[in-house]
Amino acid sequence: MKRVAETLTVLVLGILVGALVMALWGRDPWSSYASLLSGALGNTRALMSTLSRSLGLVLTGLTFAVGVRAGLFNIGAQGQMLLGAVVALSCGLLRLPPGLHLVAALALSGLAGMAWALPVAALKLTRGVNEVISTIMLNWVAHWLVLYLVIQKLSDPILGQRTFTVPPGMRFPVIRGELTWALVLALATALFFWWFLWHHAKGYEIRAAGLNPRAATAAGISVKKAMTTALLLGGVAAAWAGAIQVLGRFPYAITSDLANLGNLGFDGIAVALIGRNHPLGILAGAFFFGTLATGAAKMGLRGIPIDMIYIVQGVIVVFMAAPEALRLVRLRRPAAKAKEVAR
Amino acid sequence: MADNALLEARGIAKVYPDGTVALRGVDLVVRPGEVHGLLGENGAGKTTLTKIISGLLPPTSGEIRWRGKRVRFSSPREALRAGIGMVHQHFALVGPFTGLENIALGEEGGGALSPVHVASVRRRVEAIMRESGLEAPLDVPVEDLPVGVQQRVEILKMLYREVDLLILDEPTAVLTPQEAEELFSVLRGLAAQGRSVIFITHKLAEVTAVTDRVTVLRRGEVVATRETPGSTAEELARLMVGEELPPPRARAERAPGREVLRLEGFTVPGPAGKPAVQGVSFSVREGEILGIAGVQGNGQTELVEALVGLRPWSGHAELLGKDLAGRGPGEIASLGLAHIPEDRHGMGLILEFNLAENAILGRLRPFLDPLGRLRWGKVYRFARELISRFSIQAPGPRVPVRYLSGGNQQRLVVGRELSKAPKLLIANQPTRGLDVAATRYIRDLLLRLRDEGMAILLVSADLDEVLELSDRVAVMYRGTFAGVLSREEFDRERIGLLMGGVREAG
Repeated sequence: MKRVAETLTVLVLGILVGALVMALWGRDPWSSYASLLSGALGNTRALMSTLSRSLGLVLTGLTFAVGVRAGLFNIGAQGQMLLGAVVALSCGLLRLPPGLHLVAALALSGLAGMAWALPVAALKLTRGVNEVISTIMLNWVAHWLVLYLVIQKLSDPILGQRTFTVPPGMRFPVIRGELTWALVLALATALFFWWFLWHHAKGYEIRAAGLNPRAATAAGISVKKAMTTALLLGGVAAAWAGAIQVLGRFPYAITSDLANLGNLGFDGIAVALIGRNHPLGILAGAFFFGTLATGAAKMGLRGIPIDMIYIVQGVIVVFMAAPEALRLVRLRRPAAKAKEVAR
Repeated sequence: MADNALLEARGIAKVYPDGTVALRGVDLVVRPGEVHGLLGENGAGKTTLTKIISGLLPPTSGEIRWRGKRVRFSSPREALRAGIGMVHQHFALVGPFTGLENIALGEEGGGALSPVHVASVRRRVEAIMRESGLEAPLDVPVEDLPVGVQQRVEILKMLYREVDLLILDEPTAVLTPQEAEELFSVLRGLAAQGRSVIFITHKLAEVTAVTDRVTVLRRGEVVATRETPGSTAEELARLMVGEELPPPRARAERAPGREVLRLEGFTVPGPAGKPAVQGVSFSVREGEILGIAGVQGNGQTELVEALVGLRPWSGHAELLGKDLAGRGPGEIASLGLAHIPEDRHGMGLILEFNLAENAILGRLRPFLDPLGRLRWGKVYRFARELISRFSIQAPGPRVPVRYLSGGNQQRLVVGRELSKAPKLLIANQPTRGLDVAATRYIRDLLLRLRDEGMAILLVSADLDEVLELSDRVAVMYRGTFAGVLSREEFDRERIGLLMGGVREAG
């Protein structure tokens, strides 16, 4: 309850500061906010678009959150997401029956995400390499690798601005408007993460290892195994975030500037912080973030300067993410002692 | 208004930001030239009160008069300038610096460590050492000094700053009985020179040994201020605890059974290549408490951590005939070892977890179904059982353990460890930081377990605890056993000498 009140307080604060920014810009903040809201939620089409945009954020948010639960600062979702997207797309080159094709694409994409998380775990546990460093490096490796594949190997022979599109039998069926059945994948994954963390022995061990590695080790829990599990699970979720951009959203391809994959991986961090690193909170956080993103895009269409929109969006997100971010900083202090244990 | 008061505190109250009420209107008068005892249980407010007097914490309300003038120190530095200095339980020394450098360091203005200045500091410190009888090597990095000597450096630092009121927070916790005796005579010497000392303790014997007057605190209030001569230990104990405690459990006469734990040439590497534990050999048998006494930091922590599988070691160790080499904490626990760690918060509990989640830490298996799912119903039933069996004061199994008192946290740890039905229990500082009632509870429980045939390895820096509970006592000094004594040979004097590194002939 306290956390809900806290979240509402920072939301109001963020909105007020955002309003101040717009006022300083000489814009009427309240009508701008109104157009943001109506742009994101005002009608069914807009709502479906907002929901659809939120799904990838749910998944990358989960990646970050499960890392935090294990005591990690895993920012590798971006690279894993890019790789997951390109692997899912490449499955379009295979010939498989419809439906099964989709399942196979998801499976391979998830494996690719895990494979991209594996070196992070291996480096951390055998050589003590901080996961922040290794994930940033792997993010860049993935970025250039995927860009190369998209432009050189997978691009559409006629339309150079994107890759080929995946065959219809590999796509998520449409529910309504922009929203596809990828919705179920995102919800089910969030639900699974929640169940796993709070109702499974391995999840208990992840949480114990993250909160107090010394006590966990003393209790016979392998902190290394817990961290590895969290990284691998996170890899799958992040890869699926990329996969559903390709398999569950127009244009069912990857644009040559990777713009339709965007910064999903990094935005997931903000989503996880807004959602207090809780899978169910992340659902709300992702929807909130999706609302801002869709609404901001619509505001841009109405001639409101895009920089201002970004600033307002950023201000609100920073406010919303601040309480959990501060809590993490506090938690990490005792965690520093545990580094020996983790090595 | 007390005349001839050096320090007068009136109506001091302190409420911490989290809502904890530490002090509820406390009065304290310290006269010039007296050693004033501040007696109370853990959590009674002794440390908070002295932190307020020494400028480290602001009071929520109340006023302090220093030499008759109303003062409000906003920092320890200000208090020090006025003549009030405090030696905390955790020393404020720079490890790699020598004693002399540490003393010179705190001085205001630049060039505190310039050679010219340091030389003049040396002359004055040497004079102070002669005058007070408080000797400490000045040219050795303080991190290489034993804790008891580091404490002297801290006190010299304060004397060098010419304090008129010296506050010592539980100074004897890190001293052997002989070192404590020396400290007492130094304090009496300071009082004879007209300086005042506030001496914080929860040990009655120390109050009667060194103080002129004593103020007893209980739950943030002053229960009494007395002249020490004429007060009896029983009377002070009653004031401190507020109730009569039942007499301690009598130990049953029983012959120890088969050997449960055996170590031979057990060595644990320490920092910088020096072994923390060096070639220790001993055994613990069923129905026996082996106590390990010693000043903190002589290898006890490393010994225990290695035994439970948290540190590498060499030599030989076996539990019920099974070699412990190469086994991790989980495996060793499953052989029948339970561990009450010295650091309850760091190692015994996960503070953010609730009581039930902590109750199954290290013992998940009975609460899982074949798919590895946690059976929460069973977990909560078990937690409720622990709450009632070990009299844990808690609103329920869902309360985060952070909100439990130290005593109740420890009952939870002990209950959980005993639920593992261990053959060997390692209890490391099991009553540190607990109030008198909880301490008595834990000690009685350990004795009962011993009577029922459990093998117990007790590690404690509290000599009284070791002597009360143990069947045999090993004294640890710099990583080795300076001697092992059986109950008939218990003698505080002798153990104290062993604790200080004085080896026995033969």
